[in-house]
Amino acid sequence: MRRTFLVIDDSKLHHQMYRLIFSRGTLAGSTVYLAANGREGYGLLAAHPELSMVFLDLNMPEMNGLELLERRRAEALHLHIPIVLVTTEATAADEARGRAAGAWEYLRKPFQPADIERLVERAVAGSATAG
Amino acid sequence: MTDETNPFGELVEEYVLECLPLAEQVADAFVAVERCWREGEDASALLTAIAGPLHTIKGNSAMMGLAAMRDTAHALEDACGVLRHDAESPDPAAGALLAAGGSLLVELVRRARDNPEADEALEFVERVRQWLARGASPALETQPERRRTERRGTASSAGQADDRSASVVRVDFRRLDAMLEILGEGLIQQAALTESVRGLTRRIGPADQVSRLDQAVVALEKTLKRLESTLMETRLLPLSTVVSRFPRLVRDTAEAEGKRVRLLLSGGETPLDKAVLDRLSEPVLHLLTNAIVHGIESPGERRAVGKSDEGTVRLTAAPEAGRVVIRVSDDGRGLDEQAIRRKGESLGRDGRSESGLALRDLIFLPGLSTAPQVSALAGRGVGLDVVAGAIHALGGTIDVETAPGAGTSFTLSLPVTLAIVRSLIVEVDQERYALPLAHVAETVRAEPEAIRQINHRGVAAWRGGLIHVADGGDVLETRQARPAGRRFYVVMAAAGRRRGLLVDRLVGHQDVVVKSLDPELGRPVLVSGTTILGDGRVACILDAVRLLEGGRRAG
Repeated sequence: MRRTFLVIDDSKLHHQMYRLIFSRGTLAGSTVYLAANGREGYGLLAAHPELSMVFLDLNMPEMNGLELLERRRAEALHLHIPIVLVTTEATAADEARGRAAGAWEYLRKPFQPADIERLVERAVAGSATAG
Repeated sequence: MTDETNPFGELVEEYVLECLPLAEQVADAFVAVERCWREGEDASALLTAIAGPLHTIKGNSAMMGLAAMRDTAHALEDACGVLRHDAESPDPAAGALLAAGGSLLVELVRRARDNPEADEALEFVERVRQWLARGASPALETQPERRRTERRGTASSAGQADDRSASVVRVDFRRLDAMLEILGEGLIQQAALTESVRGLTRRIGPADQVSRLDQAVVALEKTLKRLESTLMETRLLPLSTVVSRFPRLVRDTAEAEGKRVRLLLSGGETPLDKAVLDRLSEPVLHLLTNAIVHGIESPGERRAVGKSDEGTVRLTAAPEAGRVVIRVSDDGRGLDEQAIRRKGESLGRDGRSESGLALRDLIFLPGLSTAPQVSALAGRGVGLDVVAGAIHALGGTIDVETAPGAGTSFTLSLPVTLAIVRSLIVEVDQERYALPLAHVAETVRAEPEAIRQINHRGVAAWRGGLIHVADGGDVLETRQARPAGRRFYVVMAAAGRRRGLLVDRLVGHQDVVVKSLDPELGRPVLVSGTTILGDGRVACILDAVRLLEGGRRAG
């Protein structure tokens, strides 16, 4: 099944990494939108209700990951889309705040393509049971 | 150390592209931290600024499976974490450790393609670990008593420092640009308002309500001016943010040239608009490199003429009459005037000899380099013309003074900001233009007999020489019919070139707010930006350097 993803990360290198992941293995053929900061990412999120999942970096200029989550919750924007908050070393408090703000799951760097594949599978399974 | 099977191995070029500038930023900042501590200054702001780039390098390296870089960045993060809380304590050991770590990180990232061995990284990580194990800070260990009393003695000032850092916010510079843009619009609207109130006063006389309106507009103008100066101050950064990496570069250059050079910096606190600073660093570094390569003699040569082995290069900066003057001087051998003249003559274009030009004009000509041997650093013909070009593009001027055997001194005069340009407003064929005052040498009343036609070009006598005087309408391609007679010409000067421009009217001096050109317009050759005048008219800001170059091409 062809899926659509949104990656919000200020690192060009990470954009390339996600591109690789979404062009190989079980995720090959996925569509991926890339945003360089939270503001850009929020616009793309609003424009694409069909997204399968969002990968959101925590530390970014111009609206960081938490700010994006909080705004999305406040505006109740596409709450059905699971958002994965990607961090390098989040503290327990950061994690709690992220979950409270509506992060569906956490992903710690460094991660492997298999980690992303597993998260996608879980999200699909979750939405299947929910539906 | 790279994991052969790393899924992202093929992205190593992208990794270097993203991480090398960050690593260099970190390394430069650590050199600055070391200097701060040596001079007993507070380095906590620097340490805080380093955290972001370090964190990104660590995360990226981990993703790439580059353990050496990841571990080095991690160790530096740990060290910074401890030192940030104790940043006012000068600690030579910690300073040297950080500086070494910064250089190591740059080297590792640079060599990422070749899977660098981790030995050095392991060694460094171990050094940091041992140093951290010694306690919170070595300074605490060596001088516990003095430190504690100092702490107690300066408790109130420490409290103030905390208050200050608590009230500081970080703002994206683009936001300041946007604010300036909005303020510019406000100033234009206010000017339009002022014009119509004046019109009203003329029509119905100084009635009570009209004069109250007039007062309100004048008050508004004052308020906007205050907002403008506050905003301009916000955009200023001290020169030291750029020059702090120079000591390291000067040391490296001197070493490569086998010379002994001392760099003296002063005026680092001089404030400049960030947009100017960003574009100033390269030309100033070029001048410093020139001073070391061309100016300062080898230790042996210096001894032979009775100078000390070690040469001195000075970089000074100071605000002067609303501009900033930066001077790069050395106590070396001075410029070889004869060599420059020979070279200048050989470069003479159009069969004309340039020997009539002053030394200061010759040395900024393209292709002029007198270095007898091409070294890695100088003598490749990429010379002072590039520096002069960069300075002129900033609306600045450059001048040189030299004395044989005593040294050379370059003086740059720069505007504090690029956002507002002091201009002379002129009118040509009913259009108004802003000419940056930095490049206006003089305005002259154009007597008909003073300008003679030689070879279809207007020529006038000016300050003991002849200059080409072009018709503004020709240059700007606005002329429909032969003008009845332009009444003034403006002598423009830049890059050692002078040229007169005939105009209809001199409207006056004005600080104009620069609006950048819509990229869709392309870049008109002679226009560097636009501005809106008090009466709401749009005026082009003319690019003086290109205006002068254009005259050359046409001839």
